[in-house]
Amino acid sequence: MFDVALASADAHIALATSSDEKHPPEHMIDGNAETFWSTTGMFPQEVVIRFQSLMKINNVHICSYNVKRIRLESSEGTDINKFDMLAEKIFEEIDSQLQQEEIQIEEKRAQSIRLVIESGYDHFISIHKVVVSGQAVH
Amino acid sequence: MPTILRCKCLIVGDSTVGKSSITQVFHSDSSHFPKNYTMTQGVELLVKPVNIPESSDSVEFYLYDCAGRDTFIDIVQKFWDHPSVVMVVYDCTNENSFSNCTKWLEKIRSQNSHLKIPGALVANKIDLEQRRMISPKQGRELAQSHKLEYFECSAKEMQHVDVPFFFLANEFHKLYQERVELFSTLA
Repeated sequence: MFDVALASADAHIALATSSDEKHPPEHMIDGNAETFWSTTGMFPQEVVIRFQSLMKINNVHICSYNVKRIRLESSEGTDINKFDMLAEKIFEEIDSQLQQEEIQIEEKRAQSIRLVIESGYDHFISIHKVVVSGQAVH
Repeated sequence: MPTILRCKCLIVGDSTVGKSSITQVFHSDSSHFPKNYTMTQGVELLVKPVNIPESSDSVEFYLYDCAGRDTFIDIVQKFWDHPSVVMVVYDCTNENSFSNCTKWLEKIRSQNSHLKIPGALVANKIDLEQRRMISPKQGRELAQSHKLEYFECSAKEMQHVDVPFFFLANEFHKLYQERVELFSTLA
């Protein structure tokens, strides 16, 4: 098992609904919690991370701030419209500290995952890290 | 690449105070004042970008022009989740519309109690000097008591209509910068 969502593992951001060039979505998958993606107003917000190839994934760890309701989906193909719902969760509100949330999944084949932030505890939220544990399907 | 912030702006207040006129005058860059009255039913949505001075950023307003009549309150409130900023409008020739501002604001704030929402209080129809009932001082005091910024305008004369929107855009932009600053201290 390793982090298949890392840019250094050839994963990339296929779509993001907010972009401030100082805090681009790529900052979620650079392996560094100090850099982050910030949303730039209103909800929902979403981001699609595409892996290098088809993976078997079983755990998603999200490091964020002010995220409230979030939905996690996955897709086996490259069709951006065909996603299966994996989980929906309400993150706990923590003051001046990063949220560290774990989402366990029963082993799932996925080429990409989509995070939909449906609401936040504030006008803007940040996501510092998305770690997806998995391995390539052979 | 400039950053574009998206800003949901609720425009509320009693019916016939001029919310739709203000919204449309602002949206059309002062080229359109609706001469005939059409009652807004539910919510009218308009989108309008505004540049932030001394930056390359802009704020894209999603203007939710909300019906003021009681009949529509249930429909209108469905659109009140997570506002970015709020504008409460009254008619300075109509005392009731002034005293109802508190009610409008409190409804929005109670539905979003966890949020700090920048707001503007706008006195409209200042061209009707002879009929004015609410003084600038009264307006300013009410604004202050609710932590709003006070503005006055005449949509009909297209006077000062943009000013409260520019203020709100700037406030929202400041808020964003503060939050990003905070985000970068967390890890």
